[in-house]
Amino acid sequence: MTTYNSIGKSLPRVDARGKVTGETPYAGDLSMPGMLHMKVLFAGRPHARIKSIDTRRAEAAPGVVAVFTAKDVPVNEYGLQWQDQPVLCGPGSSKPGADVVRFVGDQVAVVVAESEAQAAAAVKLIEVEYEDLPVVTDPLEAMKPGAPRVHEEIGDSNICVHYKIRKGNVDEAFAKADVIVESEYRTPVQEHAYLQPEAGLAYIDDEGRITVVCGGQWTHEDREQIAHALGLPEDHVRVIYPAIGGAFGGREDMSVQIILALAAWKLRKPVRIIWSRQESIIGHGKRHAVILRAKWGATKDGKVIAIENEIIGDGGAYMYTTNKVLGNSTITSTGPYFIPNVKTDVYGVYTNNVPGAAFRGFGAPQALFMAEMQMNKLAEKLGMDPVEFRLKNALKDGDTMGVGTPSPSPVSVIQCIEAAREKFGWKEGKRKEKGNGSHLKRGRGFAAGFKNIGFSFGYQENCWAKIELRGKAEVDEAILYHASAEVGQGTHTVMTQMAAEALGLPLEKVRLVASDTAVTGNSGSVSASRMTFMSGNAIRGAAEVALRKWKAEERPAVGEFKYLAPRTTNFEPETGYSTPNFAYAWVAQAAEVEVDTETGHVRVLRFVSADDVGQAINPALVQGQVEGAVVQAQGYAIQEEYKTKDGYVLTDQLSTYLIPTVLDIPEKVETVLVEVRDPNGPWGARGVGELPYLPVAPAIAAAIHDATGVWINEFPFTPERVLRALGKI
Amino acid sequence: MKPAPFDYFAPAATEEALSLLAEHGYDAKVLAGGQSLIPMMNFRLVQPSILVDLNNIAELAYLREGEDGGLRIGAMTRHRQVETSPLAAKRAPLIHAAMSKIAYPQVRTRGTFGGSVSHADPSAELPALSLALRGKFRLRSQRGERWVPAEEFFVSLFTTVLEPDELLVEASIPPMPPRSGWSLQEVARRPHDFALMGVAAVVTLDEKGLCKEARLTFISAGDRPMAAERAAEALKGQAPSPQVMKEAAEIASTQEIDPSSDIHATAEFRRHLANVLTRRALEQAFQRAAETTQEG
Ligand SMILES: Cc1cc2nc3c(=O)[nH]c(=O)nc-3n(C[C@H](O)[C@H](O)[C@H](O)COP(=O)(O)OP(=O)(O)OC[C@H]3O[C@@H](n4cnc5c(N)ncnc54)[C@H](O)[C@@H]3O)c2cc1C
Repeated sequence: MTTYNSIGKSLPRVDARGKVTGETPYAGDLSMPGMLHMKVLFAGRPHARIKSIDTRRAEAAPGVVAVFTAKDVPVNEYGLQWQDQPVLCGPGSSKPGADVVRFVGDQVAVVVAESEAQAAAAVKLIEVEYEDLPVVTDPLEAMKPGAPRVHEEIGDSNICVHYKIRKGNVDEAFAKADVIVESEYRTPVQEHAYLQPEAGLAYIDDEGRITVVCGGQWTHEDREQIAHALGLPEDHVRVIYPAIGGAFGGREDMSVQIILALAAWKLRKPVRIIWSRQESIIGHGKRHAVILRAKWGATKDGKVIAIENEIIGDGGAYMYTTNKVLGNSTITSTGPYFIPNVKTDVYGVYTNNVPGAAFRGFGAPQALFMAEMQMNKLAEKLGMDPVEFRLKNALKDGDTMGVGTPSPSPVSVIQCIEAAREKFGWKEGKRKEKGNGSHLKRGRGFAAGFKNIGFSFGYQENCWAKIELRGKAEVDEAILYHASAEVGQGTHTVMTQMAAEALGLPLEKVRLVASDTAVTGNSGSVSASRMTFMSGNAIRGAAEVALRKWKAEERPAVGEFKYLAPRTTNFEPETGYSTPNFAYAWVAQAAEVEVDTETGHVRVLRFVSADDVGQAINPALVQGQVEGAVVQAQGYAIQEEYKTKDGYVLTDQLSTYLIPTVLDIPEKVETVLVEVRDPNGPWGARGVGELPYLPVAPAIAAAIHDATGVWINEFPFTPERVLRALGKI
Repeated sequence: MKPAPFDYFAPAATEEALSLLAEHGYDAKVLAGGQSLIPMMNFRLVQPSILVDLNNIAELAYLREGEDGGLRIGAMTRHRQVETSPLAAKRAPLIHAAMSKIAYPQVRTRGTFGGSVSHADPSAELPALSLALRGKFRLRSQRGERWVPAEEFFVSLFTTVLEPDELLVEASIPPMPPRSGWSLQEVARRPHDFALMGVAAVVTLDEKGLCKEARLTFISAGDRPMAAERAAEALKGQAPSPQVMKEAAEIASTQEIDPSSDIHATAEFRRHLANVLTRRALEQAFQRAAETTQEG
């Protein structure tokens, strides 16, 4: 076994001290002399055409410096995938359809004033004349011909995504199946609820660049979108990330970036905005709600031979990354199993809801809920142990996935299933229920999953790093330049460890300069669990170049490197045939729950997560990711309920949208590190950010079933829903 | 949000506070722990022009044994003081046990007994418990003093019989008779949240082990703390069997409460919970009563 100097060790986080002591500023802590304050006027209605906006009273209000509306935005559109979202909705811009608001959180105007209170007061003085349009919030309704159109100008219906998988012959296979399970599932919206709501500061830097300091996930992509909307070359714009209070995918799409840049650019003054929690909850994307219909068939000997899925994702008002999220649902909708015959149709639909966005797992948790529920139900019908049943069907090296090609090897789902089974102490057969007759029932559940590492579908994955070695005879200092966003996951620590390892230097000699487009190249997004994998390879490349130059006596020795990951391909439109990803990671989990069958309360007593991360660069951080993900996913599974009515958000505060507290989380989360090295990963590393989130909900659902005998096909498993399922109310 | 502007007084004696209330009555609000009042002011649900802060009035914060063997609680006594008081545990075990269910330590360190009772939130514990234990409240103004029993004190949502110039200065919780038992059962979305439904039971057995008296009161079951009189009546004279408790729970949950639907729970769910929790509360209360009887 190789021994390492810096990686594989649970070293303290490089950012811990500053964050714990409060020395480290987050976006909302920043201020500058002469700084102005900005407030947004949100639409507050789900679908309407703006006939006119009168800003005169607001402009005349005390302290107000400027009011901006659609007419002030040079290129009034943005979006990570499709530029279908106006920066500001209203008449007067050249963008067709920009005069329509499509969800309650659409931005209509911004007020810049000397104080925040003045800006807030003036926002109320803006007079907007709306003509309400028919609202469509149910994706099934929105799919129908003749439904109200959310984007008149895009396509010929609200269906904005359609993917197909056609593998083998499902009709023939179903005829051979001994058991068939058919069900419809619904998975809910989830609010990211990051600690720090959206905030930022923009100013003109000493080189005349419009500089936006804010939380985000991909500095260079933010810069591109800002520059596009302002109609400026990218080098006129600079994006800097300070400390970021959580992201979970929710900061991939922009919120305050463009309006901040617009105001600083027009006024040539520093401008700050801080969203309230309420603004954060209505104003920015959430996890997609998805409807999933499944028909799966298996033979008596326990082989799944055919599946037919139909998946409908509520995209909400704008594309955000719905096409990619649902692409991921498409891939994961088979579960981590070899299934010879697959027919799947996946739809994304525009509605007047808050947009569906990237969120930890990126479409996989929804599809895996369906897949794992189907697996557990099939196992029950066949009278098989659900773990044995999974092992019989689990993907192995060389097995083709739903997309018709094998996963890059090594495929380690079997190792994960075995590791989770062992740690949990899972024995075949149903255990004897202790305390029979009590209203408290215990049960256990098992589920597995997988997810890609890195961007998919033919995008040439890349990541930039630069290392500068300073000193004379010996290296005094190594400076690592990298754009990666530290959103709390620990990437800056992991990158520093990897740089020390690659350079053969002690950790203290490595200094990181990160997340500033003025001094770093494009390192891509912290998403798709990609950053350890991608940055590690970029760092290794840069270190190699720098060390070579160091040996050649160059001082400082500078190595710059852009890592290019193996090529992937997009779905073939009629069959989905593709090699969509260059790496995957695998997971299996087991849960033990207690259900109060009289009050409907579900408590997770114990949770085991076995995750193949390839190589843990920092095991303590991996464990942190696992525990955090399980807690967040448990909130998704049991507790969190994003309630809306006709497009209006009813749970727009943390007193109505309830996230888990320390008293709600599982009593015990046990992490099992599985380390099956990925040949392309740095030191074999895969990724971990999303992995432990993926099958939590179906594991809990299976445990509830084990405890109570009922399958509940829709979550969150709130007390009321559980009682209804039990027929108690 | 920030509150609307107001004038602020912080008297050091009860008399001073009463004189300020006599003068400003209708425009004034008294500030106790501020755990309910300040959020309401910040949301501008109330906009008093004068605030009379009671936090400097040391004479209003105390716990002492009542002449009747019960507990006397000064209005400005913090929840946390009650929670950590051996005297309270002995003289009013039901009140003492409830404290850990009220929010979390930060809130309990500020929130007061008098504030919670005066606020009259139907989803709060102390109003319902005062009612279950037949507590009474001493109200003072410059006009004089009166004792009001809990049954008469709570009028409707956030409304009590307190006049604008009156201060609640003390609560008196009588002791439970011999052979009594009690229970508090609650369900909340999260452990420290306001209860979706809560039931307090206080029962007393006679020498033969039959139910001599029962009190059942409810949290989050109407526009004020609700008492189930008919269910209590049905228990009287009965041996506390599962069947009897089940029937009482049925009567209370279907006939004697009036829960509403909100973002956290439907009325139907609340009624169901009331049924389950009443049964559980009675089981525990009768069990405790039987145990104290054995002890002696
Ligand atoms: C997050 C949170 C969670 C909570 N959860 C719970 C819970 O689970 N259960 C629960 O019971 N409570 C809960 N509370 C409320 C808490 O118990 C408060 O302490 C209580 O409701 C009010 O007490 P206070 O001393 O803070 O009163 P204040 O907020 O200061 O005053 C409340 C009202 O009473 C009036 N008032 C106060 N004292 C007097 C007096 N002596 N005479 C006349 N009028 C007076 C005030 O003018 C005001 O109208 C919670 C509060 C918070 C912030």
